[in-house]
Amino acid sequence: MTEKNPLAVAKGHGPALLLLLLVTLIGLPLILPSTTLATEILIFGLAALACNLLLGYTGLLSFGQGIFFGAGAYGAALLMIHLQWGMLGALVGAALFGALLALLVGALAIRRKGIYFVMLTLAFSQMAYFLAYTLSGWTGGDNGLLDVPRPNITVAGHVLLDLADPRHFYAFVALLFLLIFAGALRVIRSPFGSTLLAIRENEARAAAIGYDIRHFKILVFMLSGAITGIAGALYAMLLHFAPLSNIDLMMSENILIMTIVGGTGSLFGSLLGAGAIVLLGDVLSELWPRWLMLLGVILILVVVFMRGGLWGGLADLAKRLRPSPGVDGKTKEQL
Amino acid sequence: MLDLYLFQLLNGLGLGMIYFLIAVGLTIIFGLLNFVNFAHGAFFLLGAYLCYTAVALTGNFWLALLIAPLAVAALAWVVERVLIKRIYHLPHTFQILVTLGIALIIQEASVLIWGPVGKHIAVPPELRGVLIIGDFIYPYYRLFLIGFAALIGLGLWLLLERTRFGALVRAGSESTETVSLLGTNIFRLFSLTFALGVGLAGVAGVLFAPLRGAQPFVGPEILGIAFVVVVIGGMGSFGGALVGGLLVGVVQSMMSSLWPQGASLMIYGAMAAVILVRPYGLFGRA
Amino acid sequence: MQRRTLLKAGLALGALGSLPLGASRVFAEQPLTFYGLKSMSGPFASYGKYADMGSRLAIAEHPQLLGQPLKYKVIDTEGNAGKAVRKVQEAIGQDGARFFQGCTLSSSALAVSKEINKAGGVFMTPVGADEITGKDCNSSTFRWSVPTYGAIRETLVPLIKLLPEAKRWYTITPQYVFGDALLDNARKVFSEHGIEHIGNSYHSLQEQEFSGYLTNAIAAKPDVLVLLNFGSQSSNALRQAVNFGIKDRMKVLLVWSAGLDQFQELGSDVLEGVYLGAQYWHQVDTPLNRELVAATRKAYGINPNYPLAADYIGTRVMLEAIIKANSLDGAAVSKALQGMSFQGPTGDELIRPGDHQVLKDYYLLRGKPQAQMRDDDDLAEVLHAGRSFIEVSQTGCALA
Repeated sequence: MTEKNPLAVAKGHGPALLLLLLVTLIGLPLILPSTTLATEILIFGLAALACNLLLGYTGLLSFGQGIFFGAGAYGAALLMIHLQWGMLGALVGAALFGALLALLVGALAIRRKGIYFVMLTLAFSQMAYFLAYTLSGWTGGDNGLLDVPRPNITVAGHVLLDLADPRHFYAFVALLFLLIFAGALRVIRSPFGSTLLAIRENEARAAAIGYDIRHFKILVFMLSGAITGIAGALYAMLLHFAPLSNIDLMMSENILIMTIVGGTGSLFGSLLGAGAIVLLGDVLSELWPRWLMLLGVILILVVVFMRGGLWGGLADLAKRLRPSPGVDGKTKEQL
Repeated sequence: MLDLYLFQLLNGLGLGMIYFLIAVGLTIIFGLLNFVNFAHGAFFLLGAYLCYTAVALTGNFWLALLIAPLAVAALAWVVERVLIKRIYHLPHTFQILVTLGIALIIQEASVLIWGPVGKHIAVPPELRGVLIIGDFIYPYYRLFLIGFAALIGLGLWLLLERTRFGALVRAGSESTETVSLLGTNIFRLFSLTFALGVGLAGVAGVLFAPLRGAQPFVGPEILGIAFVVVVIGGMGSFGGALVGGLLVGVVQSMMSSLWPQGASLMIYGAMAAVILVRPYGLFGRA
Repeated sequence: MQRRTLLKAGLALGALGSLPLGASRVFAEQPLTFYGLKSMSGPFASYGKYADMGSRLAIAEHPQLLGQPLKYKVIDTEGNAGKAVRKVQEAIGQDGARFFQGCTLSSSALAVSKEINKAGGVFMTPVGADEITGKDCNSSTFRWSVPTYGAIRETLVPLIKLLPEAKRWYTITPQYVFGDALLDNARKVFSEHGIEHIGNSYHSLQEQEFSGYLTNAIAAKPDVLVLLNFGSQSSNALRQAVNFGIKDRMKVLLVWSAGLDQFQELGSDVLEGVYLGAQYWHQVDTPLNRELVAATRKAYGINPNYPLAADYIGTRVMLEAIIKANSLDGAAVSKALQGMSFQGPTGDELIRPGDHQVLKDYYLLRGKPQAQMRDDDDLAEVLHAGRSFIEVSQTGCALA
């Protein structure tokens, strides 16, 4: 009864996409009223991008992204606080935590398919939440982890970049985003990425051809977990704080909503989705305390009218603005 | 000590019947419509609120028990006709997104209509008081819930096994095309089934109201319970919802003596354990 | 083809960026803006609504402050600590915000207080976590509400005296850092007064089904059941306890009740005979409370409840401190707040300099039967009022 995900994966031209991203990254803090807001959008854009690798490209609907986000936040914070690791170490540590947890969760969850897979990720999400508030000696429990530092980038004792300034931190996060985005793009366009798509389209066939499905799913899970962990670490550094809400079910839900609204199957869409949801929340919450109702309406409208998400909507718009060549080079009007 | 665990077992069975009631609507909807309804918890809370209003207007809980679920079912029928029927064919991802949207709308509408502070519904006077057997104390109302849930369960079973409607629902779970080819208006069947499934959530909301009040933000928790029960039992399986509900109820209750902090968590632990052992839940099929 | 389109889109975005949309900052006027951190949306919307009402009442009393018009801006924390911190950072960075009052969640308040302290602002909050005036205290943060030590002492001790025959007490505790703090304090009181603490049931942060824990409690046959949870968990625990006929078997004490709005939700059937601890009660007869009740009735047609009163007095005291310091400098206002004594809803109140904790009363109430209620809000009577606060040296607060 349900068709497979009808969306083709967005096929933008690599360099052009990166240029578009660069322009967006430069323009974002100028358009928005504050750099902190822009930084938050980028951070959630990363999380949504990572979720998209699972959902849009491999067809895995994971309710567990909050696990990796929260683990990345806690992990980086603890490394910085207790072991005095610097920025790079904290980020690498967060990525490793995320990847490791994703390995655990993924290895178990992918044994099942469809709604059962989804529910397994949900169960793990609840377990992670439970651990987070029980181990309050490490995580601060429901109070959260306070006084998370934001180390400057130093080389041999000299401060290269002072990240206390919100604008500098934004630039740093933007650079990371660009690098991760480019990396993800490479992965998607590689044979590995094509295999993921094959798995998404028809798992049985992909297995029949000889691919080790488990192997690929676990790898993409780990990649997704690593990126989400980095996002969590950056969030903790942005807020100087790692709240318990990073690892709760609502965080996983929000990340999924951003991914779907932005456009599953489009990495740039994930940034759009994150931006849209964060901005929507900010703008609407100033206007009306019951703004969640409007969010609900928007979610419905997106599914009914704009299934390709924001990216799909933009792509449609672009197509319409440009006369398309018909058969034999004749335009539609001439035919 | 053994006594205590026995009490917890009995309490768990009682809880389980209520969880069955919460979950059975969800499993029926998924069974026939292959539809993931993330608004199930929202309709539950709507049932509780409508019960409050009905009681406030009529002073009679039993009347509310009749009216409120019917109102919820009617609303569900409208929502199905207007929106849900457009998205049956979509992947679960989009069904989740739409029903999440509906859930948010219902939640915020409840705050608008009834205010952000919850509402209290009193246990009907006929059912106040407790049953005392030795050291064991159990409220009459919860006993009533067990009995009533069992009654509804029986009624549902009869509906599914012994009526034409039920036969169509079961046949449709196997193959909607065939049923449609045989002459049934499949769309009407869907609407009725959706309304029935959601109406059951409304019934659960009403029945739970004296124990939990009517609250706007209780949707996600109820949704979680419903899904856990359904997944344990097997999506689409009526018997599975019953067994799943009882299992979850007993686990939660026993855990409150064995490992109280983990009572809520163990529900999900139990679910994970079941799925990893039986791919489609206890009674589900591929 | 594709590339061109993308370039066009990119240019469009760039053009947008060059518009002076961000320039709105430049034109921000400088009236004094007071920021209320309220959970207007999300799961704690009920708290935020009344808290906001309270702050607005206080703001309305001062249309002008130090010769400048006074503006009030609400920051919706959405009941989410992460959002709260980011929005506060924004307000500080973009709008030069300095004066904040509110927060519903302890986690939000703790994190936000650090940001405000870094910026040299002032923050008054009613949250309950001990750490706010304990190990995480700072010179910018002040708290109007009684933390766990006082809440436990001013409910357990009077109740122990009221019920001299009750020697066996059972506790139900939520697995919050806060819940543990309440439990620790309760244990100390029990041992000081020769009470047998016959058992404790922990429960998780999300628990709403208490039949199992109640069965445990009833089986232990205590004289008093002490609920150390709060919010909707306490409402459900109480509701279900009453349904289990617990009031026929033992006394029940809810240490950290939410006050009037929770009582209104539960109703006299549930509350009758239940002992309730409260930070504020509208029937208490003090000069300021009389004013507050009158003003709230006039402005909103209701009796004030705890969120309203807490944010009213928090806002009012901050405004008065600004006037007293005759300055908009955060440090000066903080200094003015230290040691400030004022008329609060619970009578004479004082901001203790050592940890910025307001010394105020905590109440022990008891739910009234329907027949004795003189009006719809007359749901409880005050049995005891008093104040207990841990010594500054014991709080772990080291204010420079």
